[in-house]
Amino acid sequence: MNHNENCDDSLQPKDKPSTNLEPKQRRAKLPKADSEDANPPLPAATENEKPAAVEAITKQLIADRSPSPSVGPGPQTDEMATVVAKSVSVKTPQSFFGEQPLPALEIAPRVLRYQSRRDFLAFGAGTLAALAGAGFLLPRDTLSRSGVRRNMDSAEKEWFLNKALRIDDDVAEALYSVNRSVPTYTKSQITPLKNNYNGSTPDPGYIPGWKLALDGLVSGLSISLDIRNLLTRFSVHEQITRLVCVEGWSAIAWWAGLRFDDLLRAHPPMSQAKWASVESSVNLDASGNPDPYFMSVDLATARHPQTLLVTHFNGQPLTVEHGAPLRLLVPVKLGLKNVKAITRITYVAEEPRDYWAERGYSRYDGI
Amino acid sequence: MSTSAALPNDAKSTSTLPEQAGVLVVRKHHFLVRWSHWLNVPILLGLILSGISIYWASPIYQHKPDPNTGSFDVAADIGIWICAHVPGQHHYSSPPDWIYNHMSLGPGMLALALRLHWLCAYSLMLNGIVYLAGLIMGGGWRSLLPRRTDLLDALRMFRYYLGFPFAKLARRHWPHPVFNTKYNALQRAAYFSVPIAGLLSVATGWAIHKPMQFHWLAALFGGYNAARVWHFWLMWLYIFFVVPHVILVLADGWDTLRSMIVGWSMRAERSEVVANES
Repeated sequence: MNHNENCDDSLQPKDKPSTNLEPKQRRAKLPKADSEDANPPLPAATENEKPAAVEAITKQLIADRSPSPSVGPGPQTDEMATVVAKSVSVKTPQSFFGEQPLPALEIAPRVLRYQSRRDFLAFGAGTLAALAGAGFLLPRDTLSRSGVRRNMDSAEKEWFLNKALRIDDDVAEALYSVNRSVPTYTKSQITPLKNNYNGSTPDPGYIPGWKLALDGLVSGLSISLDIRNLLTRFSVHEQITRLVCVEGWSAIAWWAGLRFDDLLRAHPPMSQAKWASVESSVNLDASGNPDPYFMSVDLATARHPQTLLVTHFNGQPLTVEHGAPLRLLVPVKLGLKNVKAITRITYVAEEPRDYWAERGYSRYDGI
Repeated sequence: MSTSAALPNDAKSTSTLPEQAGVLVVRKHHFLVRWSHWLNVPILLGLILSGISIYWASPIYQHKPDPNTGSFDVAADIGIWICAHVPGQHHYSSPPDWIYNHMSLGPGMLALALRLHWLCAYSLMLNGIVYLAGLIMGGGWRSLLPRRTDLLDALRMFRYYLGFPFAKLARRHWPHPVFNTKYNALQRAAYFSVPIAGLLSVATGWAIHKPMQFHWLAALFGGYNAARVWHFWLMWLYIFFVVPHVILVLADGWDTLRSMIVGWSMRAERSEVVANES
């Protein structure tokens, strides 16, 4: 759309006004408008604004008006040369909030046609672009249901959608603060939390021989901790917080465990580490086959005081359904980051692989 | 309007005007308002389609699983009902998915639906800013503000719409109430509340998207779960708005629809408060 159209005096004649527009005839129109104004139909009388009289007709001639960039090439500018248009000013109304009469404009039909054609072409182009965008962005299954059989999946589409996802991740990261706590609840507000293992629940046989492996430490060593070790060396913190799933449901639960921050202090990661890769090797897929689960957690989030390595749920040691003997509880992230039955934590400098990010979900998952 | 004629009603017959005569038009919609208006169509469509796909993952309206169908989702129940009762749908392969196959991107594509939803949601927010900029730059916001006379005028419009079909059937003259404002009271109520609904959709969207960082926002809507319900029903508000909106624009005529594309209207007499019946 030509931006000039939106200022009152934008449509000026390029050279001279048409001889058809006799001032006398225009003047003749004014008393008519006034007389109707003076006698408005009944509802108009209830409006608080006065009928605006046409106060003056200004005719502006600006000889050297250059065509705006959106005006097309040669022939169209020739057409513009015969343009006749003048704004019809009306009395400005009383109050700042009061509705003003729409700005009236007397305009040559040829200009009107030209502008309409341009606007309709732009509108049509926009419609085509929207349809192309929909074909480009919609999933293949959706398109094939609506009769589009072509495979529109492409690397560009993935890039574009991932871009939107990364922007949202950046927003989430900007919103995060280690000093901002998530809301905590009372025991009366606790809600049921079902077993949300995505695949089969592992056989609890792994629990007695369970050990947590730590890698990527500043010491360069790889260490292994058992559950008694963790429970005796670290102070236990309790919290009743909400766990929010990417699917939309949530649950308020009572957790207890050690702070991830305390583990980081006791066994510091190597200096260049920015991420923790939190893994569970006991995770199973839906048919019961091993399906290791691995999540990236940025160390800034791991250091949040409410990020716990949980050992107890509702006052009892974790059951196998909830990730015995040690699970991650990171309430500032979606539930899918809350890895159950952690077997290994590796500190790394580069963002590690992420189970759900590889399946099209976001990476940062800050909520 | 032909300048040789003093009658404002002549403005309606411009197509036969001689080439050089001036036509009286009024500027109705700022170009930013027009562009953001039309951009809302694909953006809202994308938000609704992906939103219902997201809803599928964890419906807010659930019940105990039905012993016969195993369904716990009210939307799936509706789909099952449609497949059982609507002719031509008896052999639909997956009745519980009927709603999601017809009103969303489809079931079981949460990751993709979320990505599209974020893309459209950020677009909607940007578009909302463009719309507000157009309202301010064009001064159109003044026409949307509620007035003291609106309640009575809205009742008159209701009466007009209620009586309209009967008047048509009886071939009786049924005049449209006359207003000397850009919009009548019902239009104003709708055009004023839809942007506010947009603002609420954005606010509830952030409340359920970032329920920890924006927990105060979720609390404003009654908590995380309540904010989801708000967000869901705000979607229906757009649907309930769009249907009569499109019907009434088509009924009102080409000039009204065209004015949202080209910006001007031939109904110039309105701005001079001659207030012809239109």
